Amino acid sequence: MEFDFAVITDHARFLASGVGVSLLLATGFIVALLRLYGPPWLKPAVVLYIDSMRAIPVLVVLVWTFFALPIVTGLTMPPFFAALLGLTIHLAAYAAEIVRAGIESVRPGQTRAALALGLSRSQILRRIVLPQAIVRMLPAFGSLLSITIKDTAIASVIAVPELMRQSETVAGQSFQPIEVYTFAMLVYFAMLFPVTRGIDLFYRRVAHLGRS
Amino acid sequence: MIAENNSGGRAKGTGATIIRYRGVVKRYGAFTALDGVFLNVHAGEVVCLIGPSGSGKSTLLRCTNGLESIEGGDIEFEGTMLPRDERALRAVRQRMGMVFQSFELFPHLTAQQNVSEGPRTVLQMNQADANQRAAALLDKVGLADKAPNYPSALSGGQQQRVAIARALAMNPDVMLFDEPTSALDPETIGEVLSVMKKLADEGMTMVVVTHEMSFARRVGDWVAVFDAGRIVEQGPPRQIFDAPTTERTRDFLSHLGWSG
Amino acid sequence: MTLDWGVVWQNRDALIKGTATTILLTFATMAIALPCGAVVAVLRLYAWKPIRGLATAYVEFFRNLPLILVVYWAFYVLPILTGLGVSPLLTGLAALALNVTAYNAETFRAGINSIRRGQVEAAMALGMSRVQALRRVVIPQALRRILPVLASTWVSLFKDTSLVSVIAVTELAYVSMQVRAQTFRVLEMLTAMAIIYWLLGYPQAKLVDWIQRRYAVTE
Repeated sequence: MEFDFAVITDHARFLASGVGVSLLLATGFIVALLRLYGPPWLKPAVVLYIDSMRAIPVLVVLVWTFFALPIVTGLTMPPFFAALLGLTIHLAAYAAEIVRAGIESVRPGQTRAALALGLSRSQILRRIVLPQAIVRMLPAFGSLLSITIKDTAIASVIAVPELMRQSETVAGQSFQPIEVYTFAMLVYFAMLFPVTRGIDLFYRRVAHLGRS
Repeated sequence: MIAENNSGGRAKGTGATIIRYRGVVKRYGAFTALDGVFLNVHAGEVVCLIGPSGSGKSTLLRCTNGLESIEGGDIEFEGTMLPRDERALRAVRQRMGMVFQSFELFPHLTAQQNVSEGPRTVLQMNQADANQRAAALLDKVGLADKAPNYPSALSGGQQQRVAIARALAMNPDVMLFDEPTSALDPETIGEVLSVMKKLADEGMTMVVVTHEMSFARRVGDWVAVFDAGRIVEQGPPRQIFDAPTTERTRDFLSHLGWSG
Repeated sequence: MTLDWGVVWQNRDALIKGTATTILLTFATMAIALPCGAVVAVLRLYAWKPIRGLATAYVEFFRNLPLILVVYWAFYVLPILTGLGVSPLLTGLAALALNVTAYNAETFRAGINSIRRGQVEAAMALGMSRVQALRRVVIPQALRRILPVLASTWVSLFKDTSLVSVIAVTELAYVSMQVRAQTFRVLEMLTAMAIIYWLLGYPQAKLVDWIQRRYAVTE
């Protein structure tokens, strides 16, 4: 039970430590803002990126990042960072959509009221729209977090390709797949269930802050 | 304007007793919504239930057709106790029509389909007969031209009139109105009250929970004043509105700015 | 770095077959997961308490598990449970179906619950039974809200079929990676794989957008 768990829990721990999540959020945020407020020539490229990530499976993105990217760039990356990069590229698109939907869902009357008070556009975004939008984004981000954690399982499988081969060569003595995988599933469930429930409960408490 | 027509007493109500409420008690957990209600509704009568919000008027109505169950006392409808069994209750509900404050028209059906839905699904009427009945009723409430429209294309007053037609399509013996005009714009209240008055003139037995005091005064045959789950006073409109005998009634009416 | 894109053309047969399997898996999974999801949703909403609990546990369990683990788990457990050797394709199908059924159940349940209580009361006031009210009033309205979510689930499912490649089901991802292994044309094959998925997935994503716009519910 020494091999795969290290990788699975490594990934999960890493993301749980917040660094991966922040990277994801930050990238998603920037992409969304570029789409909404960026220069017009950039918009089609951003939209293409976002829609493409909705069309291509995360496995494909990860595999490409792991094996094809080194060929293109000529550099080799530790599997960990390749996974991080691949996941961020794929999931930031979803994050961007969530951010965009959240911002667009704030009633235009709010912006008008703020303009009438004399606030600048950036002030409006920062102080009036975003706070409300962030509350509205919470449920969707909760489910995205859940998806992110699940996707790390895929990343770990790619990072440790021997996983499958190992199970076939070992004569079933030290490697008991049913127990191993059952345990892995329970571990993931134990991680994910509280996350999704927690965000649910948190959202219910703060939802009123986002209603205008 | 709604013309005066009440005769000052229970002259109209000397027919059979359609509904008899005897000591009806309804509790929601620790809260007692109905605390021993006694009331009789006779054939052809228009009984108006008035009183402050939360005093139990709507609750009594919802207990009448079994949407809510009661904890104490009994309700007798056309001589038999209200059943507890869901299937038996369904048969009873077919003889009562209910109109809701929020109209509750089915948004995925046209006005015509809304009205014919009851006869079709519950009475197992065939399509042609159901449509015919629906057309006649929509005409009766003045909306014949709106038959093919969806509720979203109708005003509040129009929707409520369709809701009345929908309830009438079942040929009920009594019509229950739960604050039918409370959710309407002032301009459209009149058209709904007119339809209700027309029904009353035709002899329909009606129990109406309402805040429209002029309607209760002019169309009602009997008025019951609710407060905190009980009827504090009941009598003909002339008594309730012109010469109330209890303090609570006087308080309630004065709060509404009622000056007769 | 020399690129040989001809490799893609040479292996087009395998790739086409892989694509067909991907599409087949998607349809087959939905064909199972739609009715099963509906059944689980009904159980969750209307059955006796212990069955309700079981149904809820099922839904929560599979919504909080990485699909790839379910695939592996099914691969090892299913032969033992059923006593026979089940083909990777059926195993993959089973894993996908278990997963999507849970999501569909949640979608149906949320859709039905989103219909106001007053609608059911109005139907019952007319004398309809609960079943009639469900059939004639609740479900027609709920479908409007359910459809966009189902469309979105469909696209996710289409992408998730790639995960059964890990148990050697010959769908697009597996085939692409096999060809890569055989020809050593890593960049070409992986890029081709991405492009094929893109060609299939992009229109689906756009279709979902259209469905969501068209069926947008305004209260």
